[in-house]
Amino acid sequence: MTTPAGSSNGPLLRVEDVSKHFGGLVAVNHLTFEVEEGEILGIIGPNGAGKSTILGVISGFYPATAGKVFFEGQDITNLKSHGIVQLGIGRQFQASTLFMSLSVLDNVYYGFHLGYKTPVWNRLLRFPSALREERELRARGAEILDQMGLGAVKNEITKNLPHGHQRILGVCIALATDPKLLLLDEPMTGMNQTEIATMLELVRGIRESGITIVMIEHNMSAVMSLCDRIVVLDHGQEIAEGLPWEIRENDQVIEAYLGKDEFLLDD
Amino acid sequence: MRGFLSKHRRPSGFLVLLVAFALVPLWVKSPYYIDLLVMTMVNAGLAMTFVMLLRTGLISLCVAAFWGIGAYASAVLSVNAGLSFWICLPLSTLITAAFALVIGYVIIRNAGFTFIIMTTVLALLFVTVVGNIKALGGYNGISNIPAPDSIGSIVFDTKVDFFYLGLVILVVVVLIISAFYSSWAGRAWKAIGFNPRLAQSIGVNVFRYRLLSFVVGCAIAGLLGSFYAHYQTYINPNVFNLFPKTIFIQVYAVLGGAGFAILGPLVGAGLLTFLTETVTVVVQDKAEYTFMVVGALVILVVVFLPRGVLSLGEYFAKLWAWARRGGGRDGGPQPEQTLKSAGAAPEEAEGA
Repeated sequence: MTTPAGSSNGPLLRVEDVSKHFGGLVAVNHLTFEVEEGEILGIIGPNGAGKSTILGVISGFYPATAGKVFFEGQDITNLKSHGIVQLGIGRQFQASTLFMSLSVLDNVYYGFHLGYKTPVWNRLLRFPSALREERELRARGAEILDQMGLGAVKNEITKNLPHGHQRILGVCIALATDPKLLLLDEPMTGMNQTEIATMLELVRGIRESGITIVMIEHNMSAVMSLCDRIVVLDHGQEIAEGLPWEIRENDQVIEAYLGKDEFLLDD
Repeated sequence: MRGFLSKHRRPSGFLVLLVAFALVPLWVKSPYYIDLLVMTMVNAGLAMTFVMLLRTGLISLCVAAFWGIGAYASAVLSVNAGLSFWICLPLSTLITAAFALVIGYVIIRNAGFTFIIMTTVLALLFVTVVGNIKALGGYNGISNIPAPDSIGSIVFDTKVDFFYLGLVILVVVVLIISAFYSSWAGRAWKAIGFNPRLAQSIGVNVFRYRLLSFVVGCAIAGLLGSFYAHYQTYINPNVFNLFPKTIFIQVYAVLGGAGFAILGPLVGAGLLTFLTETVTVVVQDKAEYTFMVVGALVILVVVFLPRGVLSLGEYFAKLWAWARRGGGRDGGPQPEQTLKSAGAAPEEAEGA
């Protein structure tokens, strides 16, 4: 995809006055924020604040009720999810949504769906080009798994993996779609301290490879240490936006979280 | 040679099966058994298209209806328009595909339960509509459908000739289906069957790929329908009804093992086609008894071998591996456990 002229210095993603209603429920209410290229943006907020919904709207899983979403200057509001992936927005799911009965490597290999070029017949007739393409994609899949620390379990059946590894595999599949922007939906939920530390390193590594990240996460210390910028949602609306330390001292944010132990920071 | 065989195990296996199957008419001379073998091939092909749609999470109950569209298209083209079978065959395949494209475009938007109901209605509708069209012979059907024109010295006048024609068609069908399965299209289908949301997130256009599988599956059914019409020389709408035909098509797939895309339908269709005939002979043409016996057998298989007869093979392979490792001494899985794991865990794809 070519970037439209003039968008090179604009934001990578712009969410403009987006609302999402589910029947009478207003999940996201006139939300506007931008994501700059190369940053890690954290989206936080109490349960039911509309965090997952906004990721769903960006990635095309939910049509927006109102407002627009721009990616690299292009209006993607009405695109379907498979079209949005093609433009370069990959997403990982909140629950462990994986191809459970396939091997770990096959999960990533399937993720290369957009990377296949060879026509159907060439594969059946075992044209060298078709077989080479498969070998290359398999090798790239193994490479992604190695980088993400799953190289040792690549031949395991996915459903036998521990929870932490499954979460990482979800990110690997999203990486296979070759995204410019990666949406992570609570990547650290249900992980222990060691796993969280590993995940932090991995997410930093992904950013260093040039991929911009938008992340929803409940684990505050993780968000604070990882994110460059944080957007705080409550009742579908943005109540604060800023650097981690600004968010930490923001009265409104503290009020929104009041009594919720998840915001009792451990520092 | 050994390296070659292990590298191309599946194609070699199919080649051996194919040659063995092609040699059957050399010692089976009875036209009755040849007829059963021809019907086995048609049934297996139809069951393969059912499995193909199942992989993408679509349970189609109108496989036989599209089989019928192909058969009727071919019959009309040859009887009324006087075209040769060799033109009717590809033409009726295309006509069936066109029907599938239009119908699929409307009904696939609502996959899941709605799709099952829609295809059921279509299956019933086909019989009623065709049965009431005078030009198509109504419920009396179309008779005197000509045999294929001879190619060189090959004249299609015995069942054995049709056996080989059917075999060639089945091989083409298997090649087409495996071409799709082994390509990105097949992987996209499987991805949709496993998890439509995840498939979308890796860029699979779920609607388009489901429509593709529907059109390809129905076109293959149409191709088999054309062959069937010229083989039987007589067709009527009830042959293509929901019950028993489409139900049987599903049973072929489930009996063999829906997880085995090619071999499952072959084994299932072979077992059931012969079993139904045997039971019919034993109970002396009382159709309701046939269905009772066959139904009871299917229930037994579904309960004790939910992944089909072929999963027995996996069980024996595991048992063999276990015995070779020295029985239970190294704490390997016990045979009972392996039977459970071989039988009890159907792939998520089938839980549509």
